[in-house]
Amino acid sequence: MATDNANAGGFGEVSRVRGIVFEYLSFGASVFGLVALGVLLVYVAIDAFDLANASPEWLLTYFLTLVVPFLAFCLYSASDRDVTRRALGALGGGLVAVAALFTAVEAFVAPIPRLNWQLAYLFVVAAPVSAYLAYVGSGGRVGAVGFGLLGRLVGGVAIGLAVGTLFLVFDPLLWFLAYTLGVLPAVGLYAVGRRRSTPRAQTAAVPVALAGLIAAVVLRDVVATYPSDLIIYLWTVAVPVAAAGGLLVAGRSGRTVAALVAGLPLAAAAAGGFLAAGVGLPGPTVLLVLVLTGVPTAVYVSRVADAGEGLAGLGLPLLLGAGAIAGALIVEAWGVPAPDPWLDGSFLTAAPSRTPVEAGLYPAIVGSVIIIALVAVLSFALGVGTSVFLEEYTPESGALGTLTRILQVNVANLAAVPSVVYGLLGLGLFANLLGLGIGTAVTAALTLSLLILPITIISAQEAIRSVPDDLRRGSDAMGATRWQTTKNVVLPEAMPGILTGTILALGRAIGETAPLIMIGAATTVFRAPDSLFSRFSAMPMQIYTWAGFPQADFRYGVVAAGVITLLLILVGMNGTAILLRNRAERGS
Amino acid sequence: MSNTTSDDSLITTEVQADSNDDRAAAAAGTAVAARNLNVYYGDEQAIDDVTMEIPEKRVTALIGPSGCGKSTFLRCINRMNDMIEICRVDGDVEFGGKNVYDADVDPVALRRKIGMVFQKPNPFPKSIRDNVAYGLKIQGFDGDVDERVEESLKGAALWDEVKDQLDSSGLELSGGQQQRLCIARAIAPDPEVILMDEPTSALDPVAASKIEDLIDDLAEEYTVIIVTHNMQQAARISDRTAVFLTGGELVEYDDTAKIFEDPEEQRVEDYITGKFG
Amino acid sequence: MTDSTESPDLTRRDGLKRLREGTYGGLFAACAAITLLTTAAIFVTLLSDAVVFFRSISILEFLTGTNWSPNPAGGGQAFGIIPLLIGTLVVTATAALISIPVGTLTAIYLSEYATPNARSILKPLLEILAGIPTVVYGYFALVYVTPALKATLFPEMSTFNALSASIMVGIMTIPMVSSISEDAMSAVPDELRQAGYGLGATKFEVSTGIVVPASISGIASSYILAVSRAIGETMIVVVAMGAQARMPEVQQALFGIPFVNPADVLLESGMTITVAMVQITGGDLTGGTLPYNSMFALGLALFAVTLVMNILSDIIAQRYREEY
Repeated sequence: MATDNANAGGFGEVSRVRGIVFEYLSFGASVFGLVALGVLLVYVAIDAFDLANASPEWLLTYFLTLVVPFLAFCLYSASDRDVTRRALGALGGGLVAVAALFTAVEAFVAPIPRLNWQLAYLFVVAAPVSAYLAYVGSGGRVGAVGFGLLGRLVGGVAIGLAVGTLFLVFDPLLWFLAYTLGVLPAVGLYAVGRRRSTPRAQTAAVPVALAGLIAAVVLRDVVATYPSDLIIYLWTVAVPVAAAGGLLVAGRSGRTVAALVAGLPLAAAAAGGFLAAGVGLPGPTVLLVLVLTGVPTAVYVSRVADAGEGLAGLGLPLLLGAGAIAGALIVEAWGVPAPDPWLDGSFLTAAPSRTPVEAGLYPAIVGSVIIIALVAVLSFALGVGTSVFLEEYTPESGALGTLTRILQVNVANLAAVPSVVYGLLGLGLFANLLGLGIGTAVTAALTLSLLILPITIISAQEAIRSVPDDLRRGSDAMGATRWQTTKNVVLPEAMPGILTGTILALGRAIGETAPLIMIGAATTVFRAPDSLFSRFSAMPMQIYTWAGFPQADFRYGVVAAGVITLLLILVGMNGTAILLRNRAERGS
Repeated sequence: MSNTTSDDSLITTEVQADSNDDRAAAAAGTAVAARNLNVYYGDEQAIDDVTMEIPEKRVTALIGPSGCGKSTFLRCINRMNDMIEICRVDGDVEFGGKNVYDADVDPVALRRKIGMVFQKPNPFPKSIRDNVAYGLKIQGFDGDVDERVEESLKGAALWDEVKDQLDSSGLELSGGQQQRLCIARAIAPDPEVILMDEPTSALDPVAASKIEDLIDDLAEEYTVIIVTHNMQQAARISDRTAVFLTGGELVEYDDTAKIFEDPEEQRVEDYITGKFG
Repeated sequence: MTDSTESPDLTRRDGLKRLREGTYGGLFAACAAITLLTTAAIFVTLLSDAVVFFRSISILEFLTGTNWSPNPAGGGQAFGIIPLLIGTLVVTATAALISIPVGTLTAIYLSEYATPNARSILKPLLEILAGIPTVVYGYFALVYVTPALKATLFPEMSTFNALSASIMVGIMTIPMVSSISEDAMSAVPDELRQAGYGLGATKFEVSTGIVVPASISGIASSYILAVSRAIGETMIVVVAMGAQARMPEVQQALFGIPFVNPADVLLESGMTITVAMVQITGGDLTGGTLPYNSMFALGLALFAVTLVMNILSDIIAQRYREEY
């Protein structure tokens, strides 16, 4: 500056206006897509739950019975004055601001379709504040316990329903034989071998399992009488799950508690299953749901009780349940006009129909669950195998190194091939050439497995690469073979990362539509598929079909319900994946 | 150790044991011997024509400035250098009278006879028990695992500190404890030789001195070969010392007392007195 | 310790163990081979049916024909790819007009301006944009975006149109631009920024004058990937754009210069390559017909274009990667 005579009195000032404008512009760009998506999601939620027809009284009732207690719970858990003040300020200030802004826009600019200020307040203020408080609250002990319990209940129901769905396709009788003759003896042998530290018994488990499975296949048609499905599920799913839960607790809390943890849910599930069957409900599904929610819940409760911290959190599900019931009672008693949501129980359990009110998603949900289960197994196995090969078995230089590089480039390119082209591959190769059938579940599963395989491989490779080399060298120096190092050190360390990547990839598979169209998946099926070779539909396929219907009730009601269902399942899967990753990161 | 099977006559040279500690100045067999060993990383020579015999049930220290090839030499013994793709080895390393670079030698089988402890403690993210039992597990050990775990932890002077928490993760231990856990892991499968690659350099002085005491005890039963950059440490714990200087040359190899009190070579004296390196 | 009279056995382990090691290695190699086989299978599947197709319809006719009607009611099939190329080009270009500026600005914000906290929240949220099933985007475009645009900006818009579909494709591909560009910008070493500040540059000047040019190859390759993704996008256009293979009407402006009114293209329905493929699946899928084979010809064209673009983006990223 010394030579700059004009500024002799100081350094002057460089204009920052452009910079500040640019910063806000770039921030606006960052949130542009998110805001657009958020608005669309609000509308689809309003349509799916018919909130446009919800009376303010109805909204207020449920706000008071459900949302307010939930927020209070989170605030109690966080027990932080600052957070409380901020949250209450946002809720109160937001109320005034949204009401004023909304009224002003409606008055001076244009009416906003299918939205009123109360709904706008719910979505713009109440929902983000709830999400923030849930995040803050889960940091506290009470909140962590509450959300942990809630997660186990919801997850248990989801897994129970999914397992029940899988038995629609996979022969329960064959499973009964395979479990009794193969799985049970093998697991027993392995457990004994581990307990007594005799590797021979552990090694013997594999041939025993194989022999049992072969015997099961052979005997499937020889055996004439089988127990009822309910008994089979009780014996092959409920009892082992309960036993596993009991064993998990036994080491920590002693036998009495373990017996309670295993016994109570088992008894409740059995009783529930038989009762449900008695009144004409699907008994086996009720049994599965009850046992798969009951046992994890019992294990969790006993663990929380042992830790003795945050016991109040166990009340969260009760709080929410009571709130829902209270809300329903008030609405009923005072005759508050209630909306008629498209997304309700009957939507999830009914078959598609030409009349919007009767239309349901059930066969498509079953189709999706079955396909995803198959895709999960296939892409996980192939993805782990390939990534282990690329990361652990091939050198980086030399002739084999070139092969590795070719494989790597190939995987990257496969990841970018349009999904519709995978559909053509499925049609030409699996459906027509190999004769697996046009539009069958197995063709779809194979096609989607290949589609997400590159994503699975890339994420599994990252997970394997993040295992420190120290551990590998340590194992090698002990005289471990490559496979032993991989099995004992690398894979256990990389597993959370691999699972996270696989679940995220499955999220991609569950929403894929174009390949399903190409392989000729049915636009609509009225019965759930009952074998791998039957025609099926899937959730996105059904959404695609309905979106083409001309009636407004389909466009704005039924499809919205389908979209919300699909998105909720996606959120559940991705949330699980993220929880898994966070837990693994915290563990190490 | 002497050998009944193969050409043992080559390697039963007697070595004068040290005057460094209470181990008797008795004759000891040769555990490991290198003959005209040359190692290259690509075009660069890391070990230059090294020939030496390492006595059994003694502590042999390899010292020298960094980059002198001492770690490379250590890793030749259990063929950990095989993992480095550009590494090429010429010459023989004999272990139990057998050249470990012979075509019929399985490096995995070799490593089961030779334990190794690394610079940075690297316990597996498993329980303490599983860490120690790891070698037993991969080798298909048939005996009482728990008993062997206890023995090994006692051997590594760690038993008293961890006997009540065998099922907790090995990563929860302190750095010094982790390193002793790694030593317990190395001795559990009962190897004949233990290689240590600067085992105390990542530890605080108190933890390091515990490891040093332990190394002294280990020599009762095992042949210990230790790489260290710390000359006082080499002087304290080893019976024999080999000095490597830049370029992978073995300059002098003798009883520790001799090396530190009256080295033959001027270069070694310069290095030991800090004039070089 | 083993008995000291016993020599250690260092030779190769028994056959069973080696067999086990080999089996696992072989299994993993087989898994890896499946990825190669997939590529080969895609090639062979597409090529074999496309070759049959090109026996009836010459490649020249396919590439230069201006009429696409594989299943006409009255007869007179035509397989000209030009209208499909125009449709694809319109969607891709419009989507790029959204995703490229928005994605680049997002990348700059994340890499240069955002606090670590904001970045850790924004980055995963942006990934959500790419994780929403595309059929849902298509539904949004058809049911919410088109009526909204019709009510406000373009009253003459038709129910199925290219604009809404393109906007959604653009939003969906934002994270593709932003995440790869952001990686490239974050890789620019801090010394370069310090050098800029040392010369008295403002943050804006450092961001746009130093960081962006230094990471230009990564940014360029992210554009190509996003465009390639937009070309292959199927469900959004199938649901929202309709299925009319049209040649846009060419008008004469002053002095007889031909031009196309963008509204004619954007506000009307159209057909992309991917839509054409989906259209044909409504017919016979067991093979042997000309429309069936034409699907594979279209697939081959699509595959070739996206493959070239991916390789191109790879080369740009590799060749022009700054060595810091």
